[in-house]
Amino acid sequence: MNHYPQAWGRPRDDVYGPYDNSYFQASAPQTHTQSPAVTGTSVLGVKFKDGVVIAADNLASYGSLARFTDVKRLRTFPPNTVIGFGGDVSDMQYLDRLLQSLDIRENYLSSYGHVLNAKNLHTYLSKVLYKRRSDFNPLWNMLLVAGLDDDDKPFLASADLLGTTFSSPTLATGFGAHLAQPLLRKLMPHDEDSVKDVTKEMAVEAIKACMKVLFYRDARSLDKYSIAVVTKDGVELKEDQKLEDQSWAFADQIRGYGTQVN
Amino acid sequence: MTSIGTGYDLSNSVFSPDGRNFQVEYAVKAVENGGTSIGIRTKHGVVLACEKIISSKLLKPGANLRISTVDRHAGVVTSGLLPDGRHLISRARDEASSWRQTYKGPIPVHALASRMGGYVQAYTLYSSVRPFGVTAILGGWDSEAELGVDGQVGFGPSVGAGGKLEDEVVKRGGPGLYMIEPSGLYWGYYGAATGKGRQAAKAELEKLDLASPTCSLSLKDAVMEAARIIYVAHEDSKDKEFELEMTWISTLDGPTKGQHQQVPQELLEEAEKAAKKSLEGDDDEEEEEEEGDAMQE
Amino acid sequence: MASIMNAGGLPSDQPGYSFSNASAPSESSGPRQHAFNPYTDNGGSTLGVTGADFAILAGDTRSTSGYNINTRYAPKLFRIGDDGDSSSRIVLSVVGFAADGNALKERLDAIVKMYKYQHGKPMSVKACAQRLSTILYQKRFFPYYVHAILGGLDDDGKGALYSYDPVGSYEREQCRAAGAAASLIMPFLDNQVNYKNQYIPASGTGHELQPRAIESLPKEDVIGLVKDAFTSATERHIEVGDGLQMLIITKDGIEEIYTPLKRD
Repeated sequence: MNHYPQAWGRPRDDVYGPYDNSYFQASAPQTHTQSPAVTGTSVLGVKFKDGVVIAADNLASYGSLARFTDVKRLRTFPPNTVIGFGGDVSDMQYLDRLLQSLDIRENYLSSYGHVLNAKNLHTYLSKVLYKRRSDFNPLWNMLLVAGLDDDDKPFLASADLLGTTFSSPTLATGFGAHLAQPLLRKLMPHDEDSVKDVTKEMAVEAIKACMKVLFYRDARSLDKYSIAVVTKDGVELKEDQKLEDQSWAFADQIRGYGTQVN
Repeated sequence: MTSIGTGYDLSNSVFSPDGRNFQVEYAVKAVENGGTSIGIRTKHGVVLACEKIISSKLLKPGANLRISTVDRHAGVVTSGLLPDGRHLISRARDEASSWRQTYKGPIPVHALASRMGGYVQAYTLYSSVRPFGVTAILGGWDSEAELGVDGQVGFGPSVGAGGKLEDEVVKRGGPGLYMIEPSGLYWGYYGAATGKGRQAAKAELEKLDLASPTCSLSLKDAVMEAARIIYVAHEDSKDKEFELEMTWISTLDGPTKGQHQQVPQELLEEAEKAAKKSLEGDDDEEEEEEEGDAMQE
Repeated sequence: MASIMNAGGLPSDQPGYSFSNASAPSESSGPRQHAFNPYTDNGGSTLGVTGADFAILAGDTRSTSGYNINTRYAPKLFRIGDDGDSSSRIVLSVVGFAADGNALKERLDAIVKMYKYQHGKPMSVKACAQRLSTILYQKRFFPYYVHAILGGLDDDGKGALYSYDPVGSYEREQCRAAGAAASLIMPFLDNQVNYKNQYIPASGTGHELQPRAIESLPKEDVIGLVKDAFTSATERHIEVGDGLQMLIITKDGIEEIYTPLKRD
């Protein structure tokens, strides 16, 4: 043993010949999913005084190909939780089935009613995601969980493929984190304290405006989207909304791309 | 029983010379002493009901449910040894969930009955086990809608290759009611009854004319009848207190939307009240007759 | 971890070893894809300072992903072994990869609770500190990517603070800063808490110069230092800001103070 820790546990060159570093370097960790295949783009969520509004468009892309245009990326869990999925669609389907089996198992105790709220589901999902990343077999998703917490207050939190979690009065995944989140944050100048001042109409309007901005600027997006309003009374889910009042006048002004080179 | 004591009843799975399996027959005896359970199948759904004997005043009313949900669309009620019932239900749940994992959809009720029958039958085959001391009634609803696979996100093309036919009329789905006995035998029924009061219950069920294509029994009627039949079946063991427990499964556009659920408290109480009244009515008639006789004298 | 694997600057001309090749990735056989990286950095900073009868742990509440702010309120400080009866006297702070931090917090919390249920007395900070090191080292070859600081009161009622590297090496200290702005805050703490580079004026020349004697600071002074440290770190580091959460452990319990920081 010497004072080079890097040498410990290695054969000495002067005895065994030069160390074959390629052997050492090439043994990168074995991973399962190396990249997502069919993907969904941004998911947006905003709290308001009585609940949460959440939205995602209906597109599943295969690289730059708009592969499926009727994909429902908002999934409901009874009685009043909605989960919005971004990222790999097949992993989303896996998680959806996992949640369904969870729901069935919950109903074995039929008389006790539904006990899993959005907060519980978020904890569950984030542990599933963290376990899978720790196994080097990640579920390639970013998701938002919208609903109510233990005190029936609005709950909105995110979880991603690494198991990272955070909660905020407004959240947006993917491209939305860049484009929509700054706009949504205008609704909440005092963060959590502002939630009580936001009405359902304000939240829906802000979400719709952001969906439009995202459609203008995100090349992997669609003008058909799903939107859900979650309150104590349940889920109001609309899955075939169309973006209204689009204006492409600004497109003329864009320079440097396509035909308008200068 | 004539052949008792001949030694052919000491081990499971052993036939007697006249072709009987005594352990299974004893298991049936255990069932015959259990609380009454019934199931009613109508066009509009299935009702399961059971007579839950109150073994102690210290038990919480309305707790310790006896009818179990096995999957969203199926429920099971058992008569006989309760723990055996629990184990069978646990197996039924595993079967339903493994079907979902394999086929990404709900298990058809007939398939679930077959899986349960097969499982129960296996316990008649080995000397190391004993048969189930329960008879299970399985009720379910196979969805009449065109179901996608679990987790499906879209609907595919609406026209052209892979598109849907406009006027496609396919008859699918419907109610299912099966009874699985300790031998593993299972049949499908219009109305099923097991447990102590099964004879009285069966007599009442037959009166409902469930097999007839013109049977006009609505699901609510079935609930009312089920409650009444449990009360009728209880007449012979009146000394014991009991609770009525009922679940139901309706069509997709019915009250439970194809799901197995508790009958709502309100309806349960209404049915129970009506059941008690109809029995009191019987008693009154008898009393009146008695009174009449007395007056004649 | 990467820095351990291909540490540069080693003498390549030494006989017997071929370190020089270690940092140059050679062509691997077969196709290589962009691999899944199980780690990320969620930014932020934490610090801990002890006094005669208290310990203060502090952390900003910003959570980041690259240049994005995930949320302005994601606490990095956790009460350990808290049953809801406010009997807990141990606080853990974690900064680095938040998902690992959370997992670590949950494990330590469960262990400290189990200790209390099984032994009928709360775990000492000293024992908890050793246990935390063990938990970290158990994942030596797939580490929790966090810098942890554990605070509480020792058996004599003095403030106790333990700081850790990601694989469980730890020591008890007077004060420690960790996370994104550790390199900004730590020298400030050295100077203001341990009076490093402070000398008694005119007490001598050269090596004769007498260092200013270390004294244990009162709580209010430390709170002031912590606030100053974080307002300054917020100015100079983009991953620090939004809010400052302080947990002050005394024999009477854990007091929480929240102060807003700049949100830019």
